[in-house]
Amino acid sequence: MKNRLNKFLFDFSVLSIFRRGSKNIFIFFVFTLLIFLLSSILFISNSIKSELDITINSLPDITVQRLQAGRAINMPLSRVNRLLAIDGVKAVIPRVWGYYYFANAGVNFSVVGIDQFEDQYRDLYTKLCDKFNFDRLKIDSGMLIGSGIDKILKNNFYQGYFNFVKPDGSLIKVKIDGIFNGDTKLESSDIIVMPSKKVREIFGMKPDEAVDFVIKIANPSEIPNIASKITQLYPDSRVITKEDLKISYQNLFDYKGGLFLALFVISAFTFFMIIYDKASGVSSDEKREIGILKAVGWTIDDILKEKFYEAFIISFVSFITALCLSIFYVYFLNAPLLKNIFIGYSSLKPEFDLPFCFDFQTFSIIFFLTVPIYIAATIIPSWRVASMDADEVMR
Amino acid sequence: MIELRNVTKEFKVGANDKVVALKNINLRVKKGEIVLLKGPSGSGKSTILSLIAALNKPTSGEVIVDGKRVSKLADNFTSLFRRENIGFIFQRYNLIPTLSARENVIVPLIPSNPDSDWLEDRLKELFQNFSLESKMDVIVKNLSGGEQQRVAIARALINNPSIIIADEPTANLDKKLSLEFIEILKKLKNGHNSIIIASHDPLFFDLDFIDRQIDIHNGEII
Amino acid sequence: MLLTPEIITILALDFIFLFFGIIAFFISIKIVKFWNLNSTSNLQYKLEKQSFLVATIIKYIFIVKLPLFLFFIFTADKLSDVITGAMCGAGVVNSVSFGSAMFFYKILNLYIFGFWLVLHHFDLKNENQPYTKYKFWLYIVGFIFLLIEIYLEIDFFTSLDVSKLVSCCGTLFSAASTSSFSFIFTINKLYFVYLFYAVFTLLILSYILKNSWMILGLNIVYVFISIISLIIFFGTYIYQLPTHHCPFCMLQKDYDYIGYVLYITLYIGTFYGVSGAIMSILEKNKEKFYYNVSIVFNIIYALIVSAYPITYYIKNGVWL
Ligand SMILES: Nc1ncnc2c1ncn2[C@@H]1O[C@H](COP(=O)(O)OP(=O)(O)O)[C@@H](O)[C@H]1O
Ligand SMILES: [Mg+2]
Repeated sequence: MKNRLNKFLFDFSVLSIFRRGSKNIFIFFVFTLLIFLLSSILFISNSIKSELDITINSLPDITVQRLQAGRAINMPLSRVNRLLAIDGVKAVIPRVWGYYYFANAGVNFSVVGIDQFEDQYRDLYTKLCDKFNFDRLKIDSGMLIGSGIDKILKNNFYQGYFNFVKPDGSLIKVKIDGIFNGDTKLESSDIIVMPSKKVREIFGMKPDEAVDFVIKIANPSEIPNIASKITQLYPDSRVITKEDLKISYQNLFDYKGGLFLALFVISAFTFFMIIYDKASGVSSDEKREIGILKAVGWTIDDILKEKFYEAFIISFVSFITALCLSIFYVYFLNAPLLKNIFIGYSSLKPEFDLPFCFDFQTFSIIFFLTVPIYIAATIIPSWRVASMDADEVMR
Repeated sequence: MIELRNVTKEFKVGANDKVVALKNINLRVKKGEIVLLKGPSGSGKSTILSLIAALNKPTSGEVIVDGKRVSKLADNFTSLFRRENIGFIFQRYNLIPTLSARENVIVPLIPSNPDSDWLEDRLKELFQNFSLESKMDVIVKNLSGGEQQRVAIARALINNPSIIIADEPTANLDKKLSLEFIEILKKLKNGHNSIIIASHDPLFFDLDFIDRQIDIHNGEII
Repeated sequence: MLLTPEIITILALDFIFLFFGIIAFFISIKIVKFWNLNSTSNLQYKLEKQSFLVATIIKYIFIVKLPLFLFFIFTADKLSDVITGAMCGAGVVNSVSFGSAMFFYKILNLYIFGFWLVLHHFDLKNENQPYTKYKFWLYIVGFIFLLIEIYLEIDFFTSLDVSKLVSCCGTLFSAASTSSFSFIFTINKLYFVYLFYAVFTLLILSYILKNSWMILGLNIVYVFISIISLIIFFGTYIYQLPTHHCPFCMLQKDYDYIGYVLYITLYIGTFYGVSGAIMSILEKNKEKFYYNVSIVFNIIYALIVSAYPITYYIKNGVWL
């Protein structure tokens, strides 16, 4: 079987595409748009996923919340010691933090309290403690903010400080002592760090309470075991392990991505019908041309091959064009419009850029969902054309 | 050698009507022979040609070319048969109007993926023979009638066919161009090719290089 | 059921295969029933044309299926991140009881559809089309296998469960496993090595003798012994771990994707061997081109797998 690429047939196919330009341009545009949508959706979801993966990996092994009537309420600090007594627990860190809604910009900040003498539950805070002079923060009663937040505050004419509104309505002015860059863009545009005492003051929390506890565990395989012990000890607690979070995030994303894909598949099949229809409508000129080809010695197979080349060239060029466009749209323009559909919390969280993330897997998904489907749509129309009678030329 | 044995061809028209285009035709054309089929319009000349080129199948009877029963071949093999044996010059030329002269001429060779150098030489030779060198890259619909016909001849000859078939070759040409065509035809006679011409143009009637003239009337040889 | 983009992709293509496969199936049935080259009837004329539609459909399915198979393995590998306990695709595929059956049909279909195209090629070489009925019978069988494969695949994806704990390949491919092939781990692994080289030597001998039946039989045996010896012996040198017997992990990046190279060479070598041998028998003519491709790829496979233990020995002075 010799199957070397037939350059002449290829040239002929390219010419055929151009000779029937208006029909093919229509197909090209619709198909490119479709692939563009698909790849943009996949790129956005991949980016957010990889961003979340970093976030989740930096999460604590176990987080314990206290529930009352199904809602999380503050944890009394008195529980720390009994939790520490469980075998395998390395550290229990009470967390003081909350979301602060900044109405002027319409965004939520995560305000996080840390204490230097404590074990830090997040790499970022350890780094911050190393980098900034924490004592000064205390004396100044100042705070550290992410670079993204700095931008937001500057846009709202805050220079070097910010006024928080306490629950009782009074203002509390906090100085900005430093600006940091997080590991992820999400981090930098979301987090404000200050001493725990200050956070309690801003949110009006009691000094003997924390929002929740973070538990560090020596041996990761013990996690499920210890989690169940905690629930036994304090039946009103909700225990969240890192693994739980990871899987539920993954599922949420696959689910959302899947929903969009299902929609996509429906539109792809609609497109399939359009192509089928377009390819089926053969003009009398085209009919005559096929007759000529067969009369001068082209077999059914040769004509099918020519039609395949045409379909492949159109779909592959569309594929590459759409891919380039959507890389530009997602990573350079930061996916306006589409991104918001995807991240449910985007209106609450501050803006962040989508990190570049492109792998072979995504590339193959986009390819398999588009090019073979297009070619499939042309099979029957091409065959119809190819099996027309050669005596067309005698009429 | 080309042989038609008891060939009858009927065409269906409408639901249950039919036209008998050929009635019990028996015909032999030897290798190297030049044959003229003549007869009024509608007598069945084109139908005979299309049967020899396996563009059509007889309703009954057989068409045998070089020992091969072409009337029995499946569609796929009729194409291969034409590719290897037949050069057909159609009445309406049947060029692809939106391709250039050169692209039209190579069309029959495309499926066999020829060697580029060989093809270039062959093209040069053909275009020179038919004084078309300057028209190589002109889109054929912009060529004159005579030029279009020469492109069609070049296309018919590109695969070195052993059988050359021309259907009413002078029907669309003026006298001068018709005579030019006859000159070309004369040159094609070389003892290896069989040439079959269908025409009712009197210009062909007393040419000495034509070996045989066959009269067709109402689908029968007389 | 998991609805990842990968799974949707595979299912969408399955749907297309099914759609076209059914069309081709009905045409094939008509052809095996009514095909008669001597007839000049309208039906025969129609069938001749429709046979090209079937051929186009089969070409399409085969050409898309080849890379899709690799994509499937890739997907199974990726799912192992989500499914508890699975380290690689093996755990994922075996998380359902019919996982290996599904895999078997996938591979079998690649051989059948590929061979169909070879038969088609030879059929169209001769004006009498001597293999037409055979090839459409073959497709009818192939289509039934395709149905089984698609059915198992859909069942597989719908029964995947993230919360279910599955075995990792370490336990699947060991004597402790309850699977049907676990008994082979109790046999001395050197027997399989001897057997592999014995079959390989015979295979080369059969090419020299140009005995088509021998080539056919030995290529089939070669597929099986290659995979078994890869799991039992050669694989352990790829992983450099005497206890790790997994045919999947070697597809991962940690082992330079060597698994893909191995499986693809093995497929090409044996595919050309088997199809060349069958065609030689049918055509009564030695299909040299097929044999040459087959020899080259079968030798490449043997060289690559042998290189692993040998370099290990040269480096470390001991066998695993
Ligand atoms: N495709 C066709 N369908 C119906 N009738 C046809 C067809 N082709 C030719 N005929 C009829 O067959 C007869 C012979 O035609 P033709 O061979 O073209 O004659 P000629 O070439 O001698 O003018 C005419 O009566 C014509 O009408
Ligand atoms: Mg006529």
